[in-house]
Amino acid sequence: MTSGYGRFALARAGQAAVVVLLAYVLTFLVISVLPGDAITNSLRDPQSGLSEADIQRIVQYYGLDQPVLVQLALSLGRFLTGELGFSLQSNLPVAQIVGDALPSTLTLASTALAIAVVFAIGIAYGAHYAPPRWAGVLRSIPSFFLSVPNFVIGLVLIELFAFRLHAFTTTDPNSATATLFAAVTLAIPVSAPLAEVLIASLDHESRQEYALVARSRGLAETQLFARHLVKPSALPSVAMVALIMGELLGGSVITETIFGRDGIGTVVQKAVTGEDQPVLQAVVSLSAVVFVAVNLAADLLTPLLDPRVNVREEANA
Amino acid sequence: MSTSNPGGTTRGKDTTVPETKASPLLSVEGLHVAYGRRKVVHDVGFTLARGGSLALIGESGSGKSTIAKAVLRLLQPAEATVDGSVRLAGTEVLSLAERQFRPLRGRQLGFIPQDPGSALNPVRSIGAQAHEAAALAGERDAAARRRMILEVFDQVGLPDPVRVYDSYPHQLSGGMLQRVLIALTVLPRPSLIVADEPTSALDVTVQKLILDLLGDLRKELDIGLLLITHDLAIAAERADTLVVLKDGAVHEQGPSAHVFAAPRTAYARDLQADVPALNPDRYRSQRPGGPRDELLDGTTADATTAERPAQIAVTKVTKSFRTRGKEVRAVDGVSFAVERGRTHALVGESGSGKTTAVRLLLGLEQPDSGSITVGGHATAGLSRAGLRDVRRHLQLVYQNPFTSLDPTWRVGRIIREPLDRFGVGSTADRADRVRDALQSVGLPADVVDRRPAQLSGGQRQRVAIARALVVRPDVVVLDEPTSALDVSVQAGILELLARLQRDLGLTYVFVSHNLALVRQVADTVSVLRRGQVVEHGTVDQVFDRPQHPYTRALLDAIPGTSGLALPAVAEASPEHDNIQKLAEAAL
Repeated sequence: MTSGYGRFALARAGQAAVVVLLAYVLTFLVISVLPGDAITNSLRDPQSGLSEADIQRIVQYYGLDQPVLVQLALSLGRFLTGELGFSLQSNLPVAQIVGDALPSTLTLASTALAIAVVFAIGIAYGAHYAPPRWAGVLRSIPSFFLSVPNFVIGLVLIELFAFRLHAFTTTDPNSATATLFAAVTLAIPVSAPLAEVLIASLDHESRQEYALVARSRGLAETQLFARHLVKPSALPSVAMVALIMGELLGGSVITETIFGRDGIGTVVQKAVTGEDQPVLQAVVSLSAVVFVAVNLAADLLTPLLDPRVNVREEANA
Repeated sequence: MSTSNPGGTTRGKDTTVPETKASPLLSVEGLHVAYGRRKVVHDVGFTLARGGSLALIGESGSGKSTIAKAVLRLLQPAEATVDGSVRLAGTEVLSLAERQFRPLRGRQLGFIPQDPGSALNPVRSIGAQAHEAAALAGERDAAARRRMILEVFDQVGLPDPVRVYDSYPHQLSGGMLQRVLIALTVLPRPSLIVADEPTSALDVTVQKLILDLLGDLRKELDIGLLLITHDLAIAAERADTLVVLKDGAVHEQGPSAHVFAAPRTAYARDLQADVPALNPDRYRSQRPGGPRDELLDGTTADATTAERPAQIAVTKVTKSFRTRGKEVRAVDGVSFAVERGRTHALVGESGSGKTTAVRLLLGLEQPDSGSITVGGHATAGLSRAGLRDVRRHLQLVYQNPFTSLDPTWRVGRIIREPLDRFGVGSTADRADRVRDALQSVGLPADVVDRRPAQLSGGQRQRVAIARALVVRPDVVVLDEPTSALDVSVQAGILELLARLQRDLGLTYVFVSHNLALVRQVADTVSVLRRGQVVEHGTVDQVFDRPQHPYTRALLDAIPGTSGLALPAVAEASPEHDNIQKLAEAAL
């Protein structure tokens, strides 16, 4: 079993690495086929204040006078050694720009994920065990959450808690309270699909014959939930958490803008408007790494939670 | 009523009867159950003595499982209203609060469910779940509970109890899981066990072992049994009292031997007539051909091909699969031949290779060695186009009509599909042929516009048969065509198949685990075990003079055929005829 699991984990990690590389190559190609020579445009912009020698150095560095495939090879080689290049706008190393912005976004996203999981479990438990009238209300919450765009939620929270109740100020967006409200904004739409999956799998599991048999053995509903239903219901949710990472990453761009936080979202926004290709490339690749890593974690966790998953067959698949 | 809201609609007739030795173990009176506005159980009453056994028998929709769940108080209060009286050892249980009833669960009232494969939590080990049952016996020390569990696993005949304890449900076979469930149910020594179709998901030989085990444990531990089953033969063999249910009401009840041998009501008589084991010759007159003994021994392909070309000839076919690094021979040197217009049965339990044999025959898999010819054409090594041509003459009717029809298609399109695939005729021709096919399977023409969900199980299987017949095949492979259906529906389908065979000269390959059924419908039979043919011959040869011990074990396992105690009074009664049949069926 252990060696089987080891092989399975290795195979999955290998697949994950391939996905990251493909994402990198695809991003590079997409950016390079975009109309206009992005790099030259921003370099030649008189406002960039670069001298002819600087420009020559940058063109040399990125191989801009050579075919796209050579540029790709150059860029990919640097990416593999951890070198992300320099911003075309500020001439700062991309690693530094991203490194400065990352902690703020990571705090926001992980807080949001934690809040979303708590919301989802609370809604699903309530939808299942609350008195029928309340359960009905709780069941409709996910679709309500899903249908409100998160900039609306953000604006409402700011209006209510910052301007009316003065729970936090928009001038200090990195304070703990402000971060919490930003995370709530991000968490609400993200919790909706998770809650729906949890509700559905709880419904499904509690209708299974084993739940009936366990009940016939005299287990109370709370014992039944804790001992029998939580684990099988969590299985589809683990895969779901991995999928909503995408939504968390995308949502954080909007949320950061609304709350005026500096983070990856701001970096992306500036890079897009300034056609700053190296920064864009780095941020997209980083997102791919995060996304793939979380999915890899979910994949590796599933066989540990579900004894039915045969790792040997999975590894060969 | 609601099980958690006893003050509501429950009218427990008398909740204060003191427990006395005289009160029966279980007494049900005036039980009504409704799902919403739909009433499914009407005024049902019966009593079960201490240590006695009673079988509720009926077809799907008869309310038998609902009664079992009402007795166990497992119906969800939001879904079902329960009315009437259920007394367990004199105590009215329907009106008890859930808090007071819960101590009875498991300790007094055990439950053995229908499908052992889904009755244990798939992501928890057997041991972890067994501790829940052991806790009901009042043992607090985990090590002592473990000892109790291993002991009871041993008692129910599970080999290597420690391994079972550490296993997860998917690692055990259905028979072993049902033993685990029986062990967990008897562990707290309940006074009553409710068993809801405890063996219908199991192979026949396993079914017999499980029922024997349950009977022995019951005697040993003095446990009463409420058995729910659709199988009259099992009920008569395993219970003292029979209660025949139809549409949620009691139709007939009495001592098993009386109800079984001399049913008083027409419905019970029909049920009895539809039990294949009791009427082996039922379809013989409707089938083509004379006495079966005149048939050539259709088992050695070479011998028959010399004189009369066989419609199907399978010669020394072998097929292996690789699973988890191990090579499994699913089919190992299997040969059989079927004459035109005859029925050949492939019989075996799960894992015997009968499904693989069918897949090979249909060209869905290619054999590793050996040859298969259908109507003189080899199916092995054919191109896609060649296979298509063979398939036109070779159609399949699948086991489960509830899953084999696309629920979003209308019946007309389902039946027409093969015509569209093979490009037969014009649109008008196809519509005609769909109409003909529907007529030949005895369905009204207006079902073409309906969807499968609007049809009953029997009607759906008729649609599946019509779909197979619409391309006018020579050979139809019937893969357990009635195992998902009630016995009375099964009888209708078998009659239809016999008539179609006579009218159209069809050749059938009939795959089944049910030997009694095979005796009714087949001319020749091959008994498969672990991929090999252990015995073959005409049905009469195999059934009357079985040579291989495995065939004998299969025949012994047919319920209703092993030594049923008949009442002395019946011997001289007008029901003598039935008794005669019973004796014959007992082989």
